[in-house]
Amino acid sequence: MTMCRGSCQGAGRPDMTPVYPTAGSYPDFARLVDRDTAQVDRRVFSDEAVYQAELRQIFARAWLFLAHESQIPGPGDFIRTSMGEDDVIVVRQRDGSVKALLNSCPHRGNRVCMVDAGSKARGFICNYHGWSFGLDGGLRGTDGKVYEKDESFEKAQIGLTPVAQVASYKGLIFGTFDPEAPSLEEFLGDFTFYLDIMLDNEEGGTEFIGGAIRSEIDCNWKFPAENFVGDILHAFWTHQSGAQAILGGGVDLGKRYDELAFQASVYGHGIESNLDKVGNTRTLGYPELVDYMFDLSERAKARLGEVRARAIGAVSSATVFPNMSFLPGQNTFRVWHPRGPGKIELVSWTIVNKNAPERIKDLYRKGVMMTFSPGGVFEMDDGENWEYSTRVNQGFVTRQQPLHYALGLGSEDLERDLPGIVHKGSMNDANQRLFYTRWAEFMEHDNWADLQNGATAAPARPKAAAE
Amino acid sequence: MTDILDISRPFAAYDRPADAETERAVTRFLNAEARTLDREAYQEWLDHFVDEDIHYWMPDMETRNRSDARGPYRHGDSAYFDDTLSELKVRVARFVEPSAWADNPATRHLHLISNIEVYETGDPSLLAVCSVFTNVRNRNETDQDVIHGRREDVLRRHGEGFRLARRRILIVQNVLLSKNLNTFL
Repeated sequence: MTMCRGSCQGAGRPDMTPVYPTAGSYPDFARLVDRDTAQVDRRVFSDEAVYQAELRQIFARAWLFLAHESQIPGPGDFIRTSMGEDDVIVVRQRDGSVKALLNSCPHRGNRVCMVDAGSKARGFICNYHGWSFGLDGGLRGTDGKVYEKDESFEKAQIGLTPVAQVASYKGLIFGTFDPEAPSLEEFLGDFTFYLDIMLDNEEGGTEFIGGAIRSEIDCNWKFPAENFVGDILHAFWTHQSGAQAILGGGVDLGKRYDELAFQASVYGHGIESNLDKVGNTRTLGYPELVDYMFDLSERAKARLGEVRARAIGAVSSATVFPNMSFLPGQNTFRVWHPRGPGKIELVSWTIVNKNAPERIKDLYRKGVMMTFSPGGVFEMDDGENWEYSTRVNQGFVTRQQPLHYALGLGSEDLERDLPGIVHKGSMNDANQRLFYTRWAEFMEHDNWADLQNGATAAPARPKAAAE
Repeated sequence: MTDILDISRPFAAYDRPADAETERAVTRFLNAEARTLDREAYQEWLDHFVDEDIHYWMPDMETRNRSDARGPYRHGDSAYFDDTLSELKVRVARFVEPSAWADNPATRHLHLISNIEVYETGDPSLLAVCSVFTNVRNRNETDQDVIHGRREDVLRRHGEGFRLARRRILIVQNVLLSKNLNTFL
């Protein structure tokens, strides 16, 4: 665009069509993850240039969790969230579809939505000059119609930049800034098999309990994401005190650990589970919920099959790459929003089955609060670990020392009839290695063909008929 | 249940200030409670300051438009605390474990309580008490977390003293500017 000097009429009209960034390639950063030696270079947690590359390569391209359908049930219902560090409004349209819009006025850039959430909005008005936008993001008018009276003004193509693609998977709304990104289902791949443990174990699906708990942790966003992708190991040491308080003893691996426990990974998304039916639910401390989970697990066999029915309440955890995590059976659901290399905003909710009895939903709300909220007896001890894992890398020499991710080398399970890259045992660094391998793929590749056909893609191997 | 014991109903229109002697006694109670929490004497806190019928609630504070009927918080939605005595006991049980890493080495606590107002209620055994607090936690070398908020307490007369029957904690933060809440407010 070239600006005219003011004498011409219209030749310098601004082109206000949305700009979606293109990806680059950062092979030097990709090499910070060494798959051959199972080591991760600490600069991935501390380097500002790496972080800026993450915003471009990962957060501007990957499908990111935006909202649960239940948070915005009707037209004009909206929530505000983040995609990377970009502020976004997620709003239900009059036709029932969902749009996500950059929360920034195209005039001077101010936020047009200041609140966490709201219902039945007719649109969004910028506080600065009164530019007003419809639910679809289109410019409806300006204060005093001053702009409209200017004959060179064209408002048709002006609006809040829409997130390029928005799609849902069983109640979860995701968005991507990349118009070229493959469909959400392709991005999730076979991981939907595992998402259904949480999202589709009963007719009616799930919903979020109202409100959200937001907190700041001075850690790199990947530490919590890798923790949920496959680090049950830490539970025994980090969470000894919480387990003692609630269970009166340590975290239980389940009687058939060696036979049942596994990790599975698809495109860096990962789940680990001991398939012990109720281990996670038990940590909430309410016997009534354990009874409910045994019953739910039994009923879910017909819907999900034997294996996944055992996973609904089991000792387990999961992350969808890059930054959405949940605990099956425990029902905390969370996003780790990056706020620089050394800070995150954690937003967490409680997810419950829509058709669960109200009493059960409320016990889940209270149980999640008691365990996985800032005052929760488990979460309390996580934050400091992640903060110091991040902060020590200020030391120049310290950050030259690579980190060890080598538990469970050679434990891949090629026999097990489960989707994804499967490893034996949940106490294993396998999913974390694959999480960082996925991270490296995003750093390396500037196109989705390479991204979807690398080492983290699930192997195409014969499986018995789906359960 | 007396309205005042319904945690979801904010204090409104209490206009009968307690006499000076009661106000002094309540102030002493709240200051002693704060000092007990500063010492991390959580079992003592449960034994001497907390009523068996306690409901201890701290909702998350949403940023909402003034016109939004839901308001910034709502009982039944997510919260930091929504505890009865049995739940407070679980939290205290963690604090006393040597492996409660976020508390070992010890956190240095300070509870500053101010703006104390004491009102009679329709029930002679219950007092409505408003206060504000500054809570400071400092750990290790430079970790410091500060939380400001308002409390709406219902105290139940107990022998010569009081017990905390209700506590509604309304903080001023939307995003909690801390990694955890390893304290009571």
